[in-house]
Formats: sequence, structure tokens, C-alpha cells
Amino acid sequence: MSVSVDFVVLLGVLAPLVGALVVLVADVIWPRQQRLPYVLAFVSLLVAVWAPYQALAQGRGDTTSTLCLPSQPTAVCLYSVSSASALLQVVAILGAFLALLLAWPSEEHTPADRTSVMVMLVLAATGGAVGVAGAHDIASWIIALEIATVPIIVLVALPGTKAALSGAVQLLTTSLISVGLLALAAAMWFVATGSLLISADTVLRSAASGPTRALLTLSVVLFLAGIGFKLSLAPFHAWTPTAYAGAPLPIATFLSGVSKVAALAALIVIIQALSSLGAAGVAAVAVLSVLSMTLGNLVALRQNDVVRLLAWSTIAQAGWIALPLVSPSSAATRAAVVYLSAYVVATVLAFSVVVAVVARYGQVRSGAAAQIPGAGIADLSGGLASGRMIGSYSGLLRRSAFLGGGLALALTSLAGIPPGLLGLVAKVGALRPVLAEGWWVLAVLVAVNVVLGVAVYFRWFRVLLADDPAGFTPGPERAHPSVALAVAIGSALLLVLSVMPAWLTNLLG
Amino acid sequence: MALSLLLVPPLIGGVLLLLVLRGTPARLCGAVAALAAALSLVGAVLVSTGRPRIDTAWVPSLGLRWSFAVDGIAIPLILLTAALTLLVVLHSRGVEPPGGTPATFYGAILLTSFGALATFTVRDAIGFYIAFELVLVPMWVLIGRFGDEHAPAAVRTDAANRFLLFTVTGSAFLLVGLILLVTLTGTSNLDQLAAAAGSSLSHGQQVLLAVLLVAGMAIKVPLWPVHTWLPPAHSTAPTAGSVLLAAILLKMGTYGLVRVAIPVVPDGFATIAPYLAVLAVVGIIWAGLACLVERDLKRLVAYSSVAHMGFVVLGLSSGTQTGMQAALFGNIAHGVVSGLLFMVVGRLKSQWHTADLESVPRALRELSPRYGFALVVGFAAALGLPGLIGFWGEVLSVYSAWTAAASRPSGLFQVCAVVAAIGMALAAGYSLRVLRQVWAGEAASTEGSAADPARDVSGVEWAVVAAMVAAIVLGGLLPAPVLATTGDDVARLLTASSTAGGMP
Repeated sequence: MSVSVDFVVLLGVLAPLVGALVVLVADVIWPRQQRLPYVLAFVSLLVAVWAPYQALAQGRGDTTSTLCLPSQPTAVCLYSVSSASALLQVVAILGAFLALLLAWPSEEHTPADRTSVMVMLVLAATGGAVGVAGAHDIASWIIALEIATVPIIVLVALPGTKAALSGAVQLLTTSLISVGLLALAAAMWFVATGSLLISADTVLRSAASGPTRALLTLSVVLFLAGIGFKLSLAPFHAWTPTAYAGAPLPIATFLSGVSKVAALAALIVIIQALSSLGAAGVAAVAVLSVLSMTLGNLVALRQNDVVRLLAWSTIAQAGWIALPLVSPSSAATRAAVVYLSAYVVATVLAFSVVVAVVARYGQVRSGAAAQIPGAGIADLSGGLASGRMIGSYSGLLRRSAFLGGGLALALTSLAGIPPGLLGLVAKVGALRPVLAEGWWVLAVLVAVNVVLGVAVYFRWFRVLLADDPAGFTPGPERAHPSVALAVAIGSALLLVLSVMPAWLTNLLG
Repeated sequence: MALSLLLVPPLIGGVLLLLVLRGTPARLCGAVAALAAALSLVGAVLVSTGRPRIDTAWVPSLGLRWSFAVDGIAIPLILLTAALTLLVVLHSRGVEPPGGTPATFYGAILLTSFGALATFTVRDAIGFYIAFELVLVPMWVLIGRFGDEHAPAAVRTDAANRFLLFTVTGSAFLLVGLILLVTLTGTSNLDQLAAAAGSSLSHGQQVLLAVLLVAGMAIKVPLWPVHTWLPPAHSTAPTAGSVLLAAILLKMGTYGLVRVAIPVVPDGFATIAPYLAVLAVVGIIWAGLACLVERDLKRLVAYSSVAHMGFVVLGLSSGTQTGMQAALFGNIAHGVVSGLLFMVVGRLKSQWHTADLESVPRALRELSPRYGFALVVGFAAALGLPGLIGFWGEVLSVYSAWTAAASRPSGLFQVCAVVAAIGMALAAGYSLRVLRQVWAGEAASTEGSAADPARDVSGVEWAVVAAMVAAIVLGGLLPAPVLATTGDDVARLLTASSTAGGMP
């Protein structure tokens, strides 16, 4: 039995993984380089984006497949990329690119001996995320999902601070549970379907008889729980705020972007296969989705650390991402992918601005911090002065139209009101499948969450417009060029896609 | 082309002011804003004669279209919005806006105007929602950032947030309603939806849709008991913000009822119309009573807005052509009258540093006769004096409730008509109370009073005020042009819904 392999299609997975190896080898030959690993990483990401780009450019609704087994009556492919998964892959690669831009070493910060390890792990996780979107058999699907997850645990732990370690431990624990659930689910799947393939045919065959159908349903519920951990859907969300707050900011950015892509890709692969089974796992999706939204928004309302706020906002947004999947239609899948893309662009942009502000405040930390009015003693150590408290953003729009405008755009997009039209269009798209399926109660609960979300993001947005706190003006904001580039890319993307959302949605046909 | 001239200048002007012209002096910003508003007004005049239409795809996968058109129902509102934007910009001339840069101030005004104009011209259900939301952030900035400098920051923030959250709550209902509508009917084209008049929907679906859509609009209108965001928003907003809020933003709610709710789900609307009428008259009485005891002049005008919008909603819910006409006319009348009142009251408040009726200087007729005259005309129109613009909308609205459509419970509507008439008497009561306190009264000796001697209005500002006074008188003497503009389209709308909806 021969397997046909098309390496160009696999480039999206292979390039980051090979890139990760090259980074390590380069580190052996030229140790302690600061910039070289980044350059290698950017090159490998550029190569990687070629494959999904081709899949998107080639045609709408077509799938590109490889690793096909010719022996079957109809060729079965273990790796195939539809336009939706190709877009997910592009978003993952873009997210990794922006996160690396944020991590780009500015003279004194990064300890050089860890740079190559960090870059290598980011590349590996990106390769995993890209792989998940294309995998169509359970084995490689789980392996890719874990390749996307495990490096992140190390990335969170890398700084070695207490906060980082506790974040990493929590992430590790939940990942272990998640792996266990997924492995169990995979085993049940295999027993129920007699095949490792994730496809509608195998599902249909096993759904025909009672006992295997029950087993398959249980397997789906376990899959959902396992993926729920990765997507930080409530009640599997608990690791998110700790990990975000403990991790270095570029890693938190990566976590909020790329690892969500991997999780959604995993969810879509399963849901797509289940479209023939009907509404078995759908009710569970509905419950998880509205629970995460509500919980995420309510807790985010109380956060003063912007990283924690973004972490809880991620939990809420994860609910939105999963929301359209209550309908098994392909339109719903597209809506989820569009929502995820809008979310990743906006969140990564928000994080980029946070990185810029934190860097700026880091330089004025001594001296000026003591003069901030209203700052409690607890704040002084690492609060306002670190640029991570909401208060640090006071008057940002006046100090810098670039950073303030970018953040304003990101926040309004996450809230789903103009001028962040991309977020609004994404929310409309996400709600449509819900109403098309006749989930009234769900729609009303979601409507309540629209209001809550606006309240969450406007708490931050309001501060941007406020006056500078008297006696504490760090002067005009000026970010490191690489961070500024990340902000510029994010703002430009968000702005262009807000004016022409069709450019994004048309990619999916 | 004319539509672009209407919509593009405020958008470009607003964005330009916010992004490029930050930090330029107030005079230049005001000139840029005035130019944009003037171009937009030219566009408004052109679209009301040419009635053009734009329709291209925008987001095909969602069926979202870039669809704009103009008809008789929208024309008076478009003209009102464009004209008032220009007047507001001119009226703000020479005033350094407190709390922020002039560029942000004028930019927010222009963007609010853009959102309103887009709402009045858009013909796509989802596009309507987007346009409806466009005004949120700029208006929120106007209230929270440029609000009354006498109010503490916490009060301003609270007012701005209340405005934002109430409106967003309404919008969330509206969003669910509109998406449901589009999903059930398969089109988001408002003209097609109005032509079909809900014939493809069951009665239950129509009622559900009507409840969702009307709930969304009712907060914006605002209808009692969800009006509580309006008085704080008005009393803290700067004069320009108050004028835009009262004259334009509230109209978006009633316009939405006329455009999106009534013709699209006529059966459903007929079912909930009695409840709506009751809420409207409760609001009329409630606001009238509040006005009788309210001491803050700006809040008083705000409450009177609630009463006036109650008349508009009463007219809409009557289901007759007279009622619709009365509502559309009442919209315009309230826009002009409340615009004038907020301009005068806002300026007086900033001169007196107080708007408390008990402590303001008396005898405005002697201190500043022109302001006094404008105030008299404004409140006379607000109480519905015949010969002024406020009269037609309210009288016709009460009349339409008395002779409500056959599908409405006539007894209930006649009771509503009587109660609304009592509300008109209340309006006379509070209007005369204000005039007695402020305009008449004995001039107290200015010695010992903390208030500045009031300066009278002059120059451009006087021209702005005079133009609005003229509009009030002209609209009162010659209501026919406005009624004729809206008449045909209202009639068409009602016949479409009665033939397709199977109503008599």
C-alpha cells in the first residue's frame, strides 16, 4: 500500500517544524545570537504560509488533500485542507508572526541564551496548530493538537518567575486532563466506528446501530470537554487567567491567538464529521458557549489588570467562537472561522498595544510612579507603573493617536460596535445560525452578553479618552519599532477588514 | 452622487478631524466642520429632489448590501439632520469646548450626524443596525468627554455610560430581531420586506419579531419606562450634544418603528400597538408631572422630550394614515423645538452657572430680550400653541388615537386620546411655569447675586436661533409641505400592509 505525499500541501506543517529544528542547529553553531533565531523563524513562517495561501487562492470550497490511501474504493486522505481550514492556518501563522514581532529583543530585555529555545517552541506550536486544521485521522489529529499545546506550557514557564511557574503548572494540569479525555474519546471513537478516520462516512455507518451510536455520542462529549480546555470554554477555563498573567506578554499574545486557532480547528474537524449525526453534541456546545460568554464577561468586568481582563475576555470570546457551531451547517463553520479571525486580529492588536505601553512604562518606572495620584501601595510595586493596570492607559489616545487608536479599534471590534465593524459583522454572522436553527432562548442570552461585552470593553475604552493623570505624563508614547510594526499590521488589517469585511468572508466562498 | 454628497462629507470631515487635525485651533476645526456640514446639507437638498438610490453588494456571504435610498418618509428627517448639524456647528463657534480638543468635539458631532443620516437612508436590515450603532461612540464621547463642566466627572461618566448601556441593550434586542427577520424571510432588503408586509410569516412569528424590534427602538425613542437614561444624558451633555440627542438620535427610534417594524410585521405590530399606546400616554403624563416639579431647566426640557415622543408613538400605534403623518410631523416639530430650547437653555446655563429654576435670575425679557423671545417661542411651541409647529403633530396624534384603525380596540384608544389631551394641558402648565419663573418675574437687583449679568445673543448665534424660530413659526403656519412630502409614502406603506397582511 503506497501513500501519495504532496509536500507542497504539507508545507504549512513542515516549514515551522523544520524551522524549529534549524533554529536549534543554528544555536549550536552560532550560540547566543539574539536576532538570528527570529530571522530564521520569520523565513520559515513565510514559507509555511505559502501552502494555505495556495489553497485559498485556488478556489472557493475546494479542498486540497494529501497523504491519500489509494487502496480504498474512494481515496481517503489523512490530511486535507478546505478553504475554512486554510484560513485558520493563515490566521495561526499570522498570529505567530505578530507574537514573534512583539518578542523581538530590544537591547537589554531578553536573556539571549533562551531566545532560540523560545523561538523554537513558538514555531513548533505553530506547526501543531496548522496541522490540527488539516488532520483527518484521530491519531495525527491528537498528536498535532498536543504539538500545539505542549510547547506553550514550556513557553509559559520559561521566565522561571513564581507567577510564570504557577501559570505553567495550571496549564500542565489541565492539559494532562485534556489529553486524557481526548485519548479516551479517541479510543471510544475507534471502538464505535472501527476506524481512525474522522469523516462523515464512518460516523454515519456507526450511527446506524444503537450501541455504537451511544458510544459515539459519549466519545463526542469527551472530545468536546477535551477541546473545551484548549479553547478555554467554561467550565474548563480556569487555567486561562493564571497562565496569561504569568506568561511573558508575547507568549500570552501567542496563547490568546494561535492556541485558540488550534482548538477551534480541532473542534471544527470533529463537528464537520458529525454533521451527519445530527444534534447529538450540539446542545452541549450551546451550553458551553453561553456559559463561557456570561462567566467571561462578568468576571472581566471586575478586572483591573489588563492582561487578566484580556484573559477573561478570551473566555467570553471563546463562547462566541463556538456559538455558531450549534448548527451543523457549513455556513456555521464559516461563521465560526470568520469570528475567530476577527477575534485573533483584535486581541493580538490589543496585546501589541499593551506590550508597547508596558515597555514605555518600564523606562519611567522609578521616580514618576510614586506621584501617581490615587495609586495604592499595592499598585506601586507592579501596578500602574508596570503599564498593566487599566489606569496606565489613561489619556493614551491623546499621548499617541497610533497606540490609542489601535487599542480603541481593537476594543470596539471585540465589543462589536462601530468603528470596529469587523467584530460587528462577525457577531451578526455568528448569531445567524443560532436563529436559523430556532434557538430563541440561546439568542436572548447571547443578546444579554452583547451588552455585557460592551460594558467590559468600554470600561477600558473610557480610560483611553480620559485625561492624563496629573503629575504622571511619561511623555509621548513611542514603541520599539518591531512592536510598532505589529501594532501597525494589526491596525491596518482591522481597519481594512472593517471597511470591507467581504475580503475576509469571500475567502471562504 | 447626491447620496455620496450627503453621507461622505460628515464621515471624511469627522475622520479627518479625529486623526489628522488633532490639536488644531478651535476656529479651524469649526470651519472644517461647518464646511462638511454645509456640503452635507447641499447633498440633503439634492437627494430630496432627486431621490437617488445606491445598491451594491458589501458582504455577500451574509447577504449584506450597501443599499441606500430616499423616500418621502426620510426626506424631512434628512433635511432636519443636515440642517441642524450645520446650525449646531455654527452655534458652537467661538466656544472652546471644555474637557477635550476642539477637533474631537467637532469630529464627534460630524460622526453622529453621519450615523443618523446613514440610518435614515439605509435600506438593508442589517445595514440599518450598523448605522443605528454608528452614533453610539461619538455621542458617548460628547456626553462623557465634553459634558457640563459644572457636573463632577463621576456624574458625567455615569450619564454617558447609562446612555451607552441602555442604547446597547436596545440594540441587542434589535439585532436579534433583525437577524431573525432576515433568517425567516430570506431577504434583508427593507423595501422587499415592506412590500411583502410579513405575508410569509405566521402570526406568532410576527408578534415575536414586533416585540423584539419595538423593544429595541423603544429604548432609543425613549418610551416610558425605559426613558431613564435620557434626563441625565441631556442634563450633562454639552449644548451641541443635547441638540443632536434630542433632535436627531431620538428620531432614529421612531424612524426605525416606521421603517423596520410597522410595514414589515404589520400584524404583529397591530397586536402590540395597544400596549404601546398605553405606555406612550403613561409617558406623556409621567413626563408632564415630572416637568411640573423638576427644578433643573435642562432636565425639564429632557422630560418634555419624553412627553413629546409619547405623542409620536401614540400616533404610530393608532394604525391610521393620520396617525403616521402626525408622528412624522411631530418628529420634525420636536426636533426643531427641542433643538431651539436646548440651545437657549444650554447657553443660559453656561452664563448663569446654574440651571436651577429657583436660583436663576428672573426677568429674562429685560436682561436679554432676544434669548427671552426665543425661550417664549420654544416653550409656546412645546405646549402646542396653534400657529406654531408643535401644534399639528400633537393635535393630529390625539385625533388619530380617537379615530384609531378598525384593527385597534377603539375604546382603549379613545381613553388614551383623552389622557393624552390631559397631557397637553400639563405641557401648558409646565411651559408657563418656566416662562413665569425665567422670562417674566421681577428683575431681582443684581447686587449680591452670584450670577453674571446675562449677555444677550448676537452675531452668528443669533442668526442660528432666529432661523430655528422662523422654522417653528413657518412649520406652524404652513404644515402642508411636510405633510405632502410624507403623505404618498405613508399611504403606500399602509396599503401594502393592509393588502398583504389581509387587514381591512
